[in-house]
Amino acid sequence: MLHKNSMMSGRIISNREIAKDHFLMSLKVSSAESSFQEASPGQFVMLRVKGRKFPFLGRPLSIYSIYPDDGGFIVELLYRVVGEGTYVISRLKPDEEMYIMGPLGRGFDISPDHSCVILIAGGIGIAPLSFLCEHYRRCAAGRPQKIICYAGVQRSNLLVGLERMEEICSGVRISTDDGSRGYHGLVTELFKNDLSSYGHRDSIIYACGPSAMLKGLAGILKDQSVSCQVSVEERMACGVGACLGCAVRVKSGYKRVCRDGPVFDIHEIVWD
Amino acid sequence: MKNPRNPKLQVDIGGLALKNPVMTASGTFGYGEEYSRYIDLNRLGAIIVKGVSLERREGNPPQRIMETPCGMLNSIGLENVGVRSFIDDKIPFLKKFNVPVIVNIFGETAPEYRKVAEILSDVEGVHGLEVNISCPNVEKGGVAFGADPDMAYEITRDVKSVTDLPVIVKLTPNITDIAEIAESVESGGADAISLINTLKGMSVDIEKRVPHLKNITGGLSGPAVKPVALRMVWEVVNRVSVPVIGVGGIMDAADAVEFLIVGARAVQVGTANFVNPRATMDILEGIEDYLIDHDISDINELIGMLKKG
Repeated sequence: MLHKNSMMSGRIISNREIAKDHFLMSLKVSSAESSFQEASPGQFVMLRVKGRKFPFLGRPLSIYSIYPDDGGFIVELLYRVVGEGTYVISRLKPDEEMYIMGPLGRGFDISPDHSCVILIAGGIGIAPLSFLCEHYRRCAAGRPQKIICYAGVQRSNLLVGLERMEEICSGVRISTDDGSRGYHGLVTELFKNDLSSYGHRDSIIYACGPSAMLKGLAGILKDQSVSCQVSVEERMACGVGACLGCAVRVKSGYKRVCRDGPVFDIHEIVWD
Repeated sequence: MKNPRNPKLQVDIGGLALKNPVMTASGTFGYGEEYSRYIDLNRLGAIIVKGVSLERREGNPPQRIMETPCGMLNSIGLENVGVRSFIDDKIPFLKKFNVPVIVNIFGETAPEYRKVAEILSDVEGVHGLEVNISCPNVEKGGVAFGADPDMAYEITRDVKSVTDLPVIVKLTPNITDIAEIAESVESGGADAISLINTLKGMSVDIEKRVPHLKNITGGLSGPAVKPVALRMVWEVVNRVSVPVIGVGGIMDAADAVEFLIVGARAVQVGTANFVNPRATMDILEGIEDYLIDHDISDINELIGMLKKG
């Protein structure tokens, strides 16, 4: 099927800095026929600034939230400024227009078979996990008995996106690298300390964060039977699977983060 | 409302009649499927698919791409499914469309080029070959053949000897005199020539003091390379008589029209697809508008009409 509105226009409703270098953008997409009604947690959008030629590639940002609004959709994106592209996006003001393409990629495989859901977020990796949490809230019927969230950041004033987590999760555990709040150390260590308390068969882990964190998690889960899906990041050009730029090493070769992912089984990826 | 005087857009590329001159550049359009939900593939002049080799290739380790000022570097390393899988898994989808499919072929050795060409020649749904002697991101083959006039001649002649399909040879800009290579492939029997492939480049992370790309160097594409591509197309059309296809940094219709004026019979749109999946359609419509606005009833009246400044 042909999506005429593949490259939609989004009008910025708000774009505020909620912690140092961390922004929350709210975009209004007017088309009611947009594919956003099918957006699932873990998917992302490609964003490009209208009327500005450079940086010229879109920037992939994972979806923080989507909800219908007045014949269209509001798309929320929680992002961190990491380079020129995200810096330019962070400077945009309300009413400015952006090109938005999406939702793209394969999101989390949300299995109803697990009574306990464990979310592990490193830094801005909380964005898609928060959307996942929101998904559970909306579908009350298939809601797991228990949702536990682990959120790790460098220091306490960089904690973002926790509001929904605190409302929906049975427990939110925080770690900071500098000990300014919660556990003093890595979020993976904090989780590891609790690991034995979870039933491996009825639990599932969803994680997103820096690759060092995910690699650490892969090490912890190496000989464990618990299911774990991770959302990974790589530099992208097209976002639709054509350029093969965003390759990630998996056991069978390379896969495309944008199309085969960004969510993968943690054991499928080769963490080197 | 479109002006009713629909200008003729058909061009002939070495025996291939294209309904319009807008093609996709190899490696930027996958095997067609990836963009089929964004554009109507039937409207393209031709699809040039991702380079295919005899055996499956894994490609280079990541990081594979980096955006640079007005361009991007890539070092994919010709990752592809291999010619057999391409025929079994990709051609059936492409055959559903009324669009010529040109297969970009690659080998590490001359016999490999010949073998891939031979296999594809008998496949229904393949309308032409583009011989890639210009990839800068692989250790063997690729640019090693495209930088040497004798080798370029031999590969072209070898491929021609095993196929009846129109053969396009894609040239590298990483060379002193591109027209010399163009003449070699023309005498080797090339039906058309496409240029340019990417310019070899590099980019460094100054914090970590490492190259951004794991392969250290990569191929530069995008608007940054357009003036170089245009100059090279101009040099080549002045030296050969086979059709020339302009490639390099074409982002919009104005860019494409520049190449046509200089003498390119058709254009390939590459990196622009990454920025806007509808880029080929926007360019096609823009070319049509240009012809209407300039009272040109047949695109062939525009091709090569560069005046002295």
